[in-house]
Amino acid sequence: MIKTLHAFRPLHAFRLFLAGLLASLALGAHAQLSIEITGTGASRFPVIIPIFENEGRLPQSVTDVVRADLERSGLFTLIDTGPLPMPESVPPDLAAVRGRGADAVLTGSLIPMADGRYDVRFRLFDAHKQQELGAMSLPMSPAQNRLVGHRIADFVYEKLTGLPGYFATRIAYVIKSGPNFELQVADADGMNAATALRSREPIISPSWSPDGQRLAYVSFEQKKPIVYVHTLATGQRRVVANFKGSNSAPSWSPDGSQLAVVLTKDGQSQLYAIGADGSGVRRLAQSSGIDTEPFWGADGHIYFTSDRGGSPQIYRIPAGGGSAQRVSFEGNYNVSPRLSFDGKLLAFITRNAGRFQVAVQDVATRQTTILTDSARDESPSFAPNGRMILYATDTGGRGVLSAVSTDGRIRQRLTVQAADVREPAWGPQIR
Amino acid sequence: MKRLLPLAAALVLIPTAPVHAQLFGGDTEARNQVFQLRQEVQGQIETTSRGQLELAMQNEQMRAELARLRGQIELLTNEVETLKQRQKDFYVDLDARLRRFESGAAGNASAAPASGDAAPAAPAAATAPPQAPAPAPAPASANTESADYQGALALLKNGKHKDAQTAFERFVARYPNGNFTAGAHFWAGNSALQARDVASANRHFKTVIDKYPKENVAPDAMLGLANSQQAMNDAAGARRTLQSLLERYPQSNAAQVARQRLNAR
Amino acid sequence: MKKLVLPALLALTLAACSSTGPENGAASVQDRGAGVATVTAGSASGSGIAALTDPNNILSKRSVFFDFDSFVIKQEARALVEAHARFLVQNPQMNMLVQGNTDERGSREYNLALGQKRADVVKQALMLLGAKESQIESVSLGEEKPRCEDRTENCYAENRRGDMLYTGEF
Repeated sequence: MIKTLHAFRPLHAFRLFLAGLLASLALGAHAQLSIEITGTGASRFPVIIPIFENEGRLPQSVTDVVRADLERSGLFTLIDTGPLPMPESVPPDLAAVRGRGADAVLTGSLIPMADGRYDVRFRLFDAHKQQELGAMSLPMSPAQNRLVGHRIADFVYEKLTGLPGYFATRIAYVIKSGPNFELQVADADGMNAATALRSREPIISPSWSPDGQRLAYVSFEQKKPIVYVHTLATGQRRVVANFKGSNSAPSWSPDGSQLAVVLTKDGQSQLYAIGADGSGVRRLAQSSGIDTEPFWGADGHIYFTSDRGGSPQIYRIPAGGGSAQRVSFEGNYNVSPRLSFDGKLLAFITRNAGRFQVAVQDVATRQTTILTDSARDESPSFAPNGRMILYATDTGGRGVLSAVSTDGRIRQRLTVQAADVREPAWGPQIR
Repeated sequence: MKRLLPLAAALVLIPTAPVHAQLFGGDTEARNQVFQLRQEVQGQIETTSRGQLELAMQNEQMRAELARLRGQIELLTNEVETLKQRQKDFYVDLDARLRRFESGAAGNASAAPASGDAAPAAPAAATAPPQAPAPAPAPASANTESADYQGALALLKNGKHKDAQTAFERFVARYPNGNFTAGAHFWAGNSALQARDVASANRHFKTVIDKYPKENVAPDAMLGLANSQQAMNDAAGARRTLQSLLERYPQSNAAQVARQRLNAR
Repeated sequence: MKKLVLPALLALTLAACSSTGPENGAASVQDRGAGVATVTAGSASGSGIAALTDPNNILSKRSVFFDFDSFVIKQEARALVEAHARFLVQNPQMNMLVQGNTDERGSREYNLALGQKRADVVKQALMLLGAKESQIESVSLGEEKPRCEDRTENCYAENRRGDMLYTGEF
């Protein structure tokens, strides 16, 4: 659940009135992201996901969600077997499954429970090895069809690819519509979008807490950049950094207790760590140039952008202090570093012949690959399994979100009707 | 509003004039001097301030220039590190290729001089001939030097030990301070050993050990020297050489071989 | 409450008679425009303030422009900065907000830092010319409040600037 807030200047009657007026005109939570697949993997798993037994009793389908998730991932081809369910309790005819050209099949049933809920039971089979890959059961109320569908898709994805799925995660992003800004949170498939904050001033740099319950971000509602931490369920907000000058670029520590932020209270933009409650500021690095865009990696390093070498490049420092080490060497504009959750890949934006594109570096070998061919990419962020990178880009002068797999093969585009979408951040995997 | 401005100014100014007059008792000269002084000081302050601003801007330009230089150092340092790594990779690659050729040569040269230690095993353990064929374009002279070196290596590879020895000796005479000179001595020693010219082999290995102790081939040259000493039935000398190899280059692959041999005896 | 109303009135008056002063983007202009209808004139503006809006007075100009990737105040902007520094010295009760801006290309956060640096350079210059540090705050708007929204070099140049705003104007 997300509570929507309206940002306004305290005690300012005019603004309060205007904010209320404009909020009523502003686009509502009905604005959905629609996702379009623009590229797929080279080899895709052919799978059969038949309708579950008793699924017809639900107002909204579960297996439709599973199929859409798998299809959208670009790693699966769905083979349609018509409207006949394959109950979880009956061993499937795997020879027939192979005959349809499928490598795997999911059987499932909904067992009604006394409290009106259902027990969703399902099994996954490998048609070639002729063996069961796993089984699970999830209780659900009829309204939870999407969440349960995402969880089942995660299960299938993990069993067949060996990587955790990312369908039951959330994304945050900012929509600009005329003079209005909205910080929204949606499911990874773009559905269930809800507005966390409305403002007439810009909102940038949302960053998810590791527990997925809070967002840190920068809001200009007080006419200058200030860092807030916002608890999504309650709508409670807390100013964590409002020092003289600019306060920006929050990034959570892996344990969720601290934030790396950029402050200008002592001069130029420099890196600091601050408690998630705004307490105990401590300086992380010192340079004679601009240091910004910290990303607190799970490898114990803080990656950041600095122009100490005459052009913006990516450096890293140990989170506990130490000397900075340069990480990017190609080109004269490398910004917005983000480390994958396993610490193996570094995504960033590079300027390549005047175009800003998403690049990924293998941290161990320093091998760097440019993944996109667009010109105005910004704000990359990894899916929790490290396989996809979500980023903001531009088509026809309008901001859209795109996702690309780390091998560059799978591409998706997420758009909102008649609005600019920007500043995406992919939330963590909550288990 | 604008029309009111002169009026307001007048209101402020009118009462002040008589006050001044009373204070200075009509001494217009003193008054003028104070006024003049104030003007001068004001002018000086402004000039100084401008100078400071100019300095601040120059400072900013210097800071930017310094940052650019820092960036260049970062790039060059990274480049050096990358090149070092690449060079190492080339060594390993060349070594692997030579190893293949040598194991073939050992099969042919069954009548090789050295005892059970099979002389070719020594160079096979080499971690690093000093230079590798660089794919990157090099200056013309370096090109011919490299080509000559390659030519001599090819002779050795084809089992023409005497010719290879001659070629390497001609090479070191022509490029006494070249990029591959240490390597050429090393391979000349190995060729000589194969061609049973043990005295020459001895000499070449000693040249490497004495003149190029820091080259990667130096530990292997000591191994080669031990081999030629063995071939001259100087078992004690060979043993001393191996022990000295252990002391000087304890981390080298050649030292491992030496350790094995010393233990085997 | 009075404290809040006065600057607001001042702002409204300034906005109403200013045509060359910098604008905070469409949002704030609308606010002021909406306010003008309800609040009538007769506000007390000090005699020094008129100079800030008189198009013939250099003080009505508020923007310092920067070259691409540069933080040096160009020679042609020095007279403007000097004039504002003199105004601040002569009017110690006046405070100033310097807002740094950048063009839209590249990372928002990096641009925020660049904007801050531009604002700081203007603030530093004003202080070297005699203004007190307590009179000036420098903040960045980064690329978030472009004055010009086309994707042309001219437009980008227009957005690479620091704006000097006085009490009541922000």
